[in-house]
Amino acid sequence: MATNFQDIDAEAQRRWQAMTAGDRPWIRVGTALCGKAAGCDQVLDALRDSLEKRQVAANLSQVGCLGLCFAEPLVDVQFPGGPRIFYNNVTPETVDEIVASHVEQGTPLAHLALGYLGSGDGASASSGPDPGIPDLAQHPMKAQEHRIALRNAGNIDPADIHQYIANGGYRALYNALTELSPSDTLEHVNASGLRGRGGAAFPAATKWRFLAGSNAPVKYILCNCEEGDPGAFNDKAILESDPQTLVEGIILCGYATGTHNGYIFIRHGHDGPIQRAQEAVRQAEELGLLGDDILGSGFSFHLEVALTGDSYVAGEESALMEAIEGKRAMPRFRPPFPAQVGLFGKPTNINNVKTLSYVPEIVARGGEWFAGIGHEQSTGTAILCLTGSLTYTGMVEVPLGINMKDVLYDIAGGVPGGKSLKLVQSGGPLGGVLGADNVDVLLDFEVLRAAGAILGSGGLIVADEDACAVDLTRALIAFCQYESCGKCFPCRMGMSHLLEVLERICHLEGSVDDLVLMRGIGENMQAGSLCGHGQLGFNPVSSALRYFGPEFDSHIVDRTCPTGRCLRPNFSPVLSRR
Amino acid sequence: MADEATIAIDGVEIKAQPGKMVLEVAIEAGIYIPYLCYHPGMKPFAACRLCVVSVEGGRGFPASCTLPVQDGMKIRSNVPDVDQLRRSVMGMLTAEHPNGCLTCHRVDICGPSDVCLRHVSVNDRCVTCPKNERCELKDTVRYLGMDLESPLQYKYRQIPLELGDPFYDRDMNLCIVCGRCVRACEELRGDAAICFTERSGKALVGTSFGTSLLESGCEFCGACIDVCPVGALVESGHKWEKAASVQRTVCPHCPVGCQLNLEINSRGQFIRAVPELNSPANRGQACFKGKFGLEFVNNKTRLNQPLVRRNGQLEEVTWDEALDYVAGRLVEYKGDSFALLSSSNSTNEEHYLAQKFTRAVMETNNVDQTSNTQPELVRALESSLGFAAATNPIWDLEQAGCILVFNTNVTEEQNVVAVPIKRAVKKDTKLVVIDPREVELTRYAQVWLRPAPGTELLLLGGLLRSLVDQGLEQPEWLEENCESPATLRYALHNLDMEDVARTTQVTQEAIAEAASVYGQAEGAAIVYALDNIPGELQRDCVRALIDMALITGHVGRPGSGLYPMRQGANEQGAWDVGCVPDRLPGYEYVSHDDARLAVGAAWECDLPSQPGLDVKSALDAAREGAVKAMLVIGDHANFNNGKLGDGIAALDSLDFLVVHDTFLSPAARVADVVLPRVTFAEKDGTFTNLERRVQRLEPALKFPEGESRPESWVICELARRMSASGFHYHSAEAVMDEIARLSPSYGGISYQRLEQESGLVLQTNLESPQPTQVLYSSKEQRGIQWPCTRENSSSTATLYSDGFPKGKADPITPEFRVAQVQPDPEFPVWLVPGRVLLQRETGMEVVKGKRNQIIREDWVELNPDDAASLSIVQGDPVEVLTRSHRLAAMARLVESLPSGVVATTNLFGQLAVDLQASEELDPASKVPGLEITAAKVVKVDAEGSQ
Repeated sequence: MATNFQDIDAEAQRRWQAMTAGDRPWIRVGTALCGKAAGCDQVLDALRDSLEKRQVAANLSQVGCLGLCFAEPLVDVQFPGGPRIFYNNVTPETVDEIVASHVEQGTPLAHLALGYLGSGDGASASSGPDPGIPDLAQHPMKAQEHRIALRNAGNIDPADIHQYIANGGYRALYNALTELSPSDTLEHVNASGLRGRGGAAFPAATKWRFLAGSNAPVKYILCNCEEGDPGAFNDKAILESDPQTLVEGIILCGYATGTHNGYIFIRHGHDGPIQRAQEAVRQAEELGLLGDDILGSGFSFHLEVALTGDSYVAGEESALMEAIEGKRAMPRFRPPFPAQVGLFGKPTNINNVKTLSYVPEIVARGGEWFAGIGHEQSTGTAILCLTGSLTYTGMVEVPLGINMKDVLYDIAGGVPGGKSLKLVQSGGPLGGVLGADNVDVLLDFEVLRAAGAILGSGGLIVADEDACAVDLTRALIAFCQYESCGKCFPCRMGMSHLLEVLERICHLEGSVDDLVLMRGIGENMQAGSLCGHGQLGFNPVSSALRYFGPEFDSHIVDRTCPTGRCLRPNFSPVLSRR
Repeated sequence: MADEATIAIDGVEIKAQPGKMVLEVAIEAGIYIPYLCYHPGMKPFAACRLCVVSVEGGRGFPASCTLPVQDGMKIRSNVPDVDQLRRSVMGMLTAEHPNGCLTCHRVDICGPSDVCLRHVSVNDRCVTCPKNERCELKDTVRYLGMDLESPLQYKYRQIPLELGDPFYDRDMNLCIVCGRCVRACEELRGDAAICFTERSGKALVGTSFGTSLLESGCEFCGACIDVCPVGALVESGHKWEKAASVQRTVCPHCPVGCQLNLEINSRGQFIRAVPELNSPANRGQACFKGKFGLEFVNNKTRLNQPLVRRNGQLEEVTWDEALDYVAGRLVEYKGDSFALLSSSNSTNEEHYLAQKFTRAVMETNNVDQTSNTQPELVRALESSLGFAAATNPIWDLEQAGCILVFNTNVTEEQNVVAVPIKRAVKKDTKLVVIDPREVELTRYAQVWLRPAPGTELLLLGGLLRSLVDQGLEQPEWLEENCESPATLRYALHNLDMEDVARTTQVTQEAIAEAASVYGQAEGAAIVYALDNIPGELQRDCVRALIDMALITGHVGRPGSGLYPMRQGANEQGAWDVGCVPDRLPGYEYVSHDDARLAVGAAWECDLPSQPGLDVKSALDAAREGAVKAMLVIGDHANFNNGKLGDGIAALDSLDFLVVHDTFLSPAARVADVVLPRVTFAEKDGTFTNLERRVQRLEPALKFPEGESRPESWVICELARRMSASGFHYHSAEAVMDEIARLSPSYGGISYQRLEQESGLVLQTNLESPQPTQVLYSSKEQRGIQWPCTRENSSSTATLYSDGFPKGKADPITPEFRVAQVQPDPEFPVWLVPGRVLLQRETGMEVVKGKRNQIIREDWVELNPDDAASLSIVQGDPVEVLTRSHRLAAMARLVESLPSGVVATTNLFGQLAVDLQASEELDPASKVPGLEITAAKVVKVDAEGSQ
């Protein structure tokens, strides 16, 4: 085990040099969830076969998500000193062509390439390698980005801690351990104005202070990667693309709060993130960056990866603690709050993956730097997952305060096929929907809240004119119903009744009384439920009624679905627990 | 935080402890806030949201079950917005529970076959629900005044009823998913046999993977039934019966002394037992015996007329004839040719009268209880420490840092004692089990020492030596409180640990671990019995256990001490009042002249000074003809199970046998006179449980038609007819007053005081829909734990907290040896039966039918060396033969098993099936014990021949 950080860093730099400045080209394939869904495994196999067949020497790495999910499978080739040239939507058939021409001959294929990025060794990237290949930095998805938590995503091999260290990783931790006191470290986070990215936007430093203020001998830090919201994948993407930034963030949180134990809690079934997280923890332990007496500082921190069953509510902080304790994931009542009585009855701090992933950069560059990014009280960036009816789908990290309209039309390129945007579903199923006329809103926690929406987990699902608002509401409620844990009565039964009414309306058999009934159930769910799932569970319906009231009316009064969607005999089936 | 806060609920000011939940405070103050998922005694769950309130100046509608009291809080409960929210929840609830009757004004008027104008089908009617009279949902609906009309449509869940399991019926169509049963099972019992199933609208309660209760690890304690607010979980016996009255009394099955509320129907029949929530001994818990094993009181074959044998036949006679006849005959046997065997479930007063009758009228000390086959269990406690009883209260075990369980299967024998043990283990208490058998607690144990049968005493020696070697003695405490254990140290010094490990077949590491766990604990308790300890080692085993407690100072403090696990419900009381052959009331020796003369003076007669025969010797004497006449009160398993030899034959050889029993038991069949006896449910008196707690029994049932009588009446009548004085008592209370005068430990105990000390814990208003248990539990009857020497002295929870009666405790050095058992060439190995709640391994299937049965492949566990010598390999079919039984099974090789031992395990679930199906009149009292017996193992070849 290396005893000091200089040695670790030198070793990392040596390896990085060998990768980037040797005599071989470096091929990187995006194998995050988006890549896997698009078929990167087959591409990877074809790539290996082709390299072997042609006896070409190249470094081949699997990297995470660059954010350009629409372009997956994404393969890039970089010669030492040159730029990275990206090929989009690569198929096993085109792989050989790329290897033959670009890797073997050094001739990029302009007709297959998406663009180029940088030059790898820090040289100016203004001049492209080929006039036919555009600069990817100017791509709509990239042009407005400001990457902090995602700074390494898609660039480094997430399974190799050395690549993270070579790119500045663990320097923040080293500096904190050697130069900063725990309270200084906490002050950085305080100055940054960092707020929780899990949905509630609670100031992180305030939460940390609760934990730091507790004298209990055993305390816990939990990192929540349950991420069950449909349309949200940024937590998983961080773990799949750069898990070490999260590990470093958690250790820093532990240092700042005087805590020595932590868990990364991942939903069972997120195989990639689970594997990456486990590898990352093991590698950090091997280098002495995690465990007892980190880097000889005397500070110890132990981190474990815990898994839950297949349950959305397990992402609720108290249900999450129940799950880690091996119980059924059902929320606890409060008070006592987790900061007093949390996991195993000990004081506990829970943060989202994104929140903790900002911490290394905040400590490295100072809280003021982070506070300078963003908009008013909403400092830093938003990591948005763009899905649905959009030209470019994927993940972008943009400064908070950006207009949602700009995100949808400029960054994501608007709705394809000349259709019009109908609605945006933001912040997970519980966040509700926004009508097309209401997307001209700043992505700022306060502004969004005033507009009746939440940023939540950062997922933006876009529906075009073909979608039926009623059917979509039904689908959202079906999700909420399916995922209700079944503990508190209002949510357990209310969700089922809401779904039943919505199904009736979708079958064009609803009545005007049904709207009153839904409001009655929903408002009582809001007032009476134990946790956020029930309290916010009526949002999809209430927001849809706000923006698309007439569409509900035509289902109920005119007995027609304007989009025709609800008339289909087998309209989109959903899972249901009734 | 202030000690007291004042809050107002709907304008009513209440003083409360800050931090307590508002709902608890409201219940105690008699203010009703509706609730369904909360249950007193369990942690709040905050699921039903019916107890929501609003707080002046606060946000939203917090659930009062999880709302901590703060000074000055102004709570509003009975206001329209809160009511609206509750009604909304209830509206949804009634859409998933049959509701036609719930919302109907005729709910209590209609019969099951009346024409219903609302078309409520018969199956959905409240009147056809077994919980109709004790349904909390109905009461809550009524309180909230729910409308007839709801826009939500009721859907029957159409889940098949689970009627196959023993004792319980489950109807999940009625379940409201409040989770009380799940929490009772896990939180109160430490078992978790049932759990929530599914999620969301399909969430219900069941066993994991949908198995039957037999397979789920259920111990059939009935805790889930007791807390169920609706008809989803009910007792299958007397399912539809309605309670007309309720009487609290004490369970007659084991020495825990559970207070039970007996429900009696309008025909005066016992229908069910509900354990008392505010009882200090059982805290709302019971077990399969107490909850389901009391049906015998209703049995139609109960004796109701005295019987006298004439011409070889038992013939019905009147009481006068029978008593005159008995009195006339007994006169002939005055002196040592008479013996009286009292029942372990006789009351203190009856035990007292029995021994007084034997000594004063029959002029002999031959008096004992049938269950008292192991007097060594407590003798050493008395001689070393001072009192022949458990040192601490049962629920103190929950506070112990370590619990050592020695040779006792409490889950089965004294079930409720296992509850605090399991709950403690869940809270980090370390459990050490020393037992060759696999019993339920071995699965909870941190260390399970499995000595070869007969080597337990040597193992205790090893533990003591290890305690000393590890420096875990408490020299200062010893110096102050204990005679010097010098001879013990010497004996331990001579103990060869290698030899101990070799002989007991327990590794030295395991012994050291057990010793360190016990010695290092802040408080450590020993729960012990002598189930399978050979007679010659019994006394020394108890001495060794006492020595362990003494040298580590684990005596005299809460969370420590020693708990002898007696068998009979009132064995402790029998000892206390002198119903043993060598002791007078108050533990005075009969041979001690001063004491005997003092008692004789009080009774106005001369008493015999020669110690009498105990139950074993009395039966031996009967066989030899030295004892010619006996009065036996109550039947006991010991007459039949071999512990007393062939007990019935011994009784049969008597000249004159009088049996006073409830049923025509095997003993009664050979009697000359049979007198009908009442059951515990008809008795007035007191029991003293294993923690020395004197508790009142009050008659729940009238004396049944016919003529059965309690033994107190019979004994007094006999004494009167034999012209003895001193047997005129107005009531049981007068007997207790006499006991109090003679027995110093009982000096301050009287019925009046027992009544006065019961505290009002709840102001119940019968109009309010409180849970059944809460309604029954308005009063807490704590009983009194002796010693309580004077009228004004208090109950003693922990013995020896102010030092020992003789000044210092006196450890006695046992001789650490093994049992000298002559090896039986025919049966060379020990068959060690075990019983577990759950066995997942293999080959188990449940045949569902009217009564579910487990069919499984039995395993016999063998040590690999033993197996090799018999050329048996894993999976071979083998047969285990004992003198009386034969068991076919598959061989399984287990390294940890001592050689010379074969082990089998039975399932608790199967026991429950057997009990319920049993034709025995009182099945629960005949639970077969887990006796270690000599056996041989033979390999069976494939064709099935040996």
